Amino acid sequence: MKFEEIRKLAQSRWQEIWNDQMPVILVGTATCGRAAGALEVLQAIKDTVKKQSLSCLIYEVGCMGHCYAEPLVILRKPGYPSICYGHVNPVLVENLINNFLLNDDPCLEFVLGAIEENDFIPSFSDFPRSKYEKRILLKNCGQINPEEIEHYIANGGYESLAKTLRMKPEEIVSEVKGSKLRGLGGAGFPAGEKWDLCRHSEGKPKYLICNGDEGDPGAFMDRAILESDPHSVIEGMVIAGYAIGARHGYIYVRAEYPLAVQRVQNAIHQAEEYKFLEENILGSNFSFDIKLFQGSGAFVCGEATALIASIEGKPGIPRHRPPRVAVQGLFGKPTILNNAKTLAYVPHIIKNGADWFLQMGTERSKGTAVFALAGKVVNTGLVEVPMGTTLRQLIFDVGGGLSKGKRFKAVQIGGPSGGCLPESALDIPIDFDSLQESGAMMGSGGMVVLDEDDCMVEVARYFLDFTQKESCGKCTLCRLGTKQMLDILEDITKGRGKMEDLETLQELAEDIKQGSLCGLGRTAPNPVLTTLRYFREEYEVHIKEARCPALMCQTLIAYYIIPEKCARGCDACVGTCTVEAISTDKKRRIKVIDQEKCVKCNTCLAACPPQYDAVIKLSPPDKVPPSKNTSIPSPLMGEGEGGGEK
Amino acid sequence: MGVRNSVSSPSPYSPPTKGGERIFVQKMKDISLTIDGKQIKATEGEKILWAALENSIYIPNLCAIREKMQPSASCRLCFVEVEGENEPVIACTQPVKEGMVVHTRGRNALRLARTAAELLIASHPVDCGHCLKNRSCELQKIAKHLGIKLKTKRFRKLERNLPIDESSSLFIYDPNKCVLCGKCVWVCQEKLGIGAIGFTRRGFKRMVSTFEDQPIAKSRCNQCAECVKACPVGALVFKNKNFISQIESE
Amino acid sequence: MLSLLLVEMKIIKEEPKIKEKTRGILEGLGNRRANLIPILQQIQGVFGYLPQQAMLEVARFLNIPEIDVYSVATFYNQFRLTPPGKHSIRVCMGTACHVKGGHITLAAWQRRLKIGPGETSPDREFDLDTVACVGCCAMAPVSVVDKKVEGKADPTRVDGILLSYQLQKEKEEKEKN
Repeated sequence: MKFEEIRKLAQSRWQEIWNDQMPVILVGTATCGRAAGALEVLQAIKDTVKKQSLSCLIYEVGCMGHCYAEPLVILRKPGYPSICYGHVNPVLVENLINNFLLNDDPCLEFVLGAIEENDFIPSFSDFPRSKYEKRILLKNCGQINPEEIEHYIANGGYESLAKTLRMKPEEIVSEVKGSKLRGLGGAGFPAGEKWDLCRHSEGKPKYLICNGDEGDPGAFMDRAILESDPHSVIEGMVIAGYAIGARHGYIYVRAEYPLAVQRVQNAIHQAEEYKFLEENILGSNFSFDIKLFQGSGAFVCGEATALIASIEGKPGIPRHRPPRVAVQGLFGKPTILNNAKTLAYVPHIIKNGADWFLQMGTERSKGTAVFALAGKVVNTGLVEVPMGTTLRQLIFDVGGGLSKGKRFKAVQIGGPSGGCLPESALDIPIDFDSLQESGAMMGSGGMVVLDEDDCMVEVARYFLDFTQKESCGKCTLCRLGTKQMLDILEDITKGRGKMEDLETLQELAEDIKQGSLCGLGRTAPNPVLTTLRYFREEYEVHIKEARCPALMCQTLIAYYIIPEKCARGCDACVGTCTVEAISTDKKRRIKVIDQEKCVKCNTCLAACPPQYDAVIKLSPPDKVPPSKNTSIPSPLMGEGEGGGEK
Repeated sequence: MGVRNSVSSPSPYSPPTKGGERIFVQKMKDISLTIDGKQIKATEGEKILWAALENSIYIPNLCAIREKMQPSASCRLCFVEVEGENEPVIACTQPVKEGMVVHTRGRNALRLARTAAELLIASHPVDCGHCLKNRSCELQKIAKHLGIKLKTKRFRKLERNLPIDESSSLFIYDPNKCVLCGKCVWVCQEKLGIGAIGFTRRGFKRMVSTFEDQPIAKSRCNQCAECVKACPVGALVFKNKNFISQIESE
Repeated sequence: MLSLLLVEMKIIKEEPKIKEKTRGILEGLGNRRANLIPILQQIQGVFGYLPQQAMLEVARFLNIPEIDVYSVATFYNQFRLTPPGKHSIRVCMGTACHVKGGHITLAAWQRRLKIGPGETSPDREFDLDTVACVGCCAMAPVSVVDKKVEGKADPTRVDGILLSYQLQKEKEEKEKN
């Protein structure tokens, strides 16, 4: 079938869904949704629909971006705009179907927002965040069923591929070069230039690899796109393969993303059926196939030469460059390795042209960037904003500001290769170069917001711990240097640090950054360097006073129940204490924590009713007043079992 | 330069190089460059490290193997400064050029090399008095050249506490002393095609071992002891001291 | 102690079966070196771990030294060399989970199961490990229990999950008798 016919058929089928002949129900079942219980909601929907003999269409969609409100359900009743409901559970969804689809009450108190603009329900475009958001890569996410290729085609999918096959490969490379698209995996290298180099390198067959390894802890953009709109990546890969003259492609997805693996595999099969892959694509001379490769768990495999080594069946150990991967890569042949988001952009650039792309973004960084907003911000989830949006706008306007009314302290950008930026950096426009100048890095888009309860020394230690475990161990500076830095940070967070440790830390960090073999080693010191640069006083307090101002470093804090605030009759903390460290003081009838037994799990603080708020954290631990404890066994421990503490 | 080919000895496993191709290298141009003020001649495309060593100019190195096609570049000791380059470069990967001016004792290069060397020493159980490699150990030579002590001051002493393998009748393998230069692995796998040892694990735990960490005598090892001859430090040493002097006089 | 010994002996007795089963898996697969990781993934999919005999068979099949198989098996997080427990617990240690108390959740699992990351409980019921990031950062802190993603898994939730397993086990035992 020719592409035009395929497209017309897909579009007519899509119209049949949305022609308001019957209700449509969409459920977001990406991994985030599933973690929140989306599959149970889906089952409840199916059961209710069956029970009520309701004629309607139900399909699963991917990530809608409002991850803080998962599970999400969209109900479309003929005559009404599509309405999105958040925090849905099986009981609620049954009520919604009964009240709204079968009757006429849209249950406004549960509505998150309407999809289309209308007169009576606020739509998403009324949200402050839509002023800043520009969903291009995420356009289809949450709208289409990722397991239905026809949905993708009906919404413009594979049009760019058809257009590409009518153009010459050099023209495609030229268009991508002209768009100034920079790699969205972290390094931000101009994609078009890489393609050009590969195109002109000798060696056959050439390879195209999609890097879906996304090892940054706290990043889930690539996962969301692979789960919610896998065809956008596949289409991008075929176009890229055509441009550089590649015959084989690989999608490298980490095994820790089983749903993404399944959806991508399914998408590849469907694309093959429709002749968008394999021999003579869409009747042209171009043949290209894609294989899925599951990463077996190594952050370092996000590095190009390490990723290639693992496809070759070896440990993922980087090698020295030159020769560059575009010249000599997989199996020694010219290879292009691009991040999944970079490839997902390609169909849009081919469809709309380089000039369209150049209109968005800043001078040196064009287009948009996708961020996974996480941490202490209200609206956690996926957002896509044009380059140049400031951090302040992203965190406060799109993200809704800090949750629980806390104070902003820092934002961690770029994962373990990135850095922590303080309040003074909030007006930096997001852009590859401006972030690099500030000491952080765009990275692949992970952004974690930290508040006054987060200790910056502990955050640095956490990232070093991660990089240390993930280091391949080949080069001395990274293998041994990160271990030394980690040991120093552990000592500081445990109150054993010395002032000269800070000097050693700084020197070591600079040397590792300059002298390591690969990108992992060269960026591993960034969290340390940025926290030393912007939060040095915090380090000094840990060392000089053995105190953690944020009350996070476990060795340096103690939990304490304020006697005046403790309600005598309440047993909330005693019952929930995971190690039975809380007992009742015989005389004063208040609760007392046994500091020897306490494991600082925070459960008592969380359990103490808000009207009392009697549990606090103190630092250093010797601030806890000595208790004249005459404890008795608490009622929960049973009568006559002997002393309450030992 | 002549013909180069990789040796493959008869074994059930082909050495994991590029299939033992014969590479005909055309007679390359002779160029001249300056290292530490000394004018020397080298072949164009040769790496700075070999050009220097051939002309009796020492640059600290542990992992460099001349016959290897792709330098490992893992020890990070051979930093040098090249005029015109912003940052120090690694001598084993940087090719020479006509008129190049190299300083092996530039301040920045020395700083990086010293950090790498100090890190190695801090993870090495320094016990020269009892070590069978005393006075022929490359770490001692490197420390002396860089002007650093074998007792670490800046860094914490890191111990790995790995078991020592004395199962062979000929040699002892002490993984705690290993600097992960990779020479023993290269000799066993690529040069001789035996493949009894290799790198295992990752990160700080990376170590040279056998399949399932069996004692070397139980593995595919044929006790040829070529790995022992290749080891620059006291990780692989001959048990018999007389044996050592016998080998060294060969 | 005795149960551990019995388990060890069971493993040794199963060795010839492992060889045979591995050969069955390898049949029809390409014996290119580049297939090593997908092959090991398939083998672990069947056995739950990489038995020594299986690794030797793979080395023979691909005509590579067995140390090369071991290098790959010990390099990656995914591969395990000891049999897993009946239930797997993976605690996410991603950034978002960490700031929401991921290390506290891990400590809770360790306290209750009495094992550390990378270990299996002596009764082989549970094995515990950390995972770098599951990608569900909005639901932090996350633990993956038998492939099911449990969001907001604080110490109280940990106890709840273990209690439900205990009740399930008791129910199964009652039904057996």
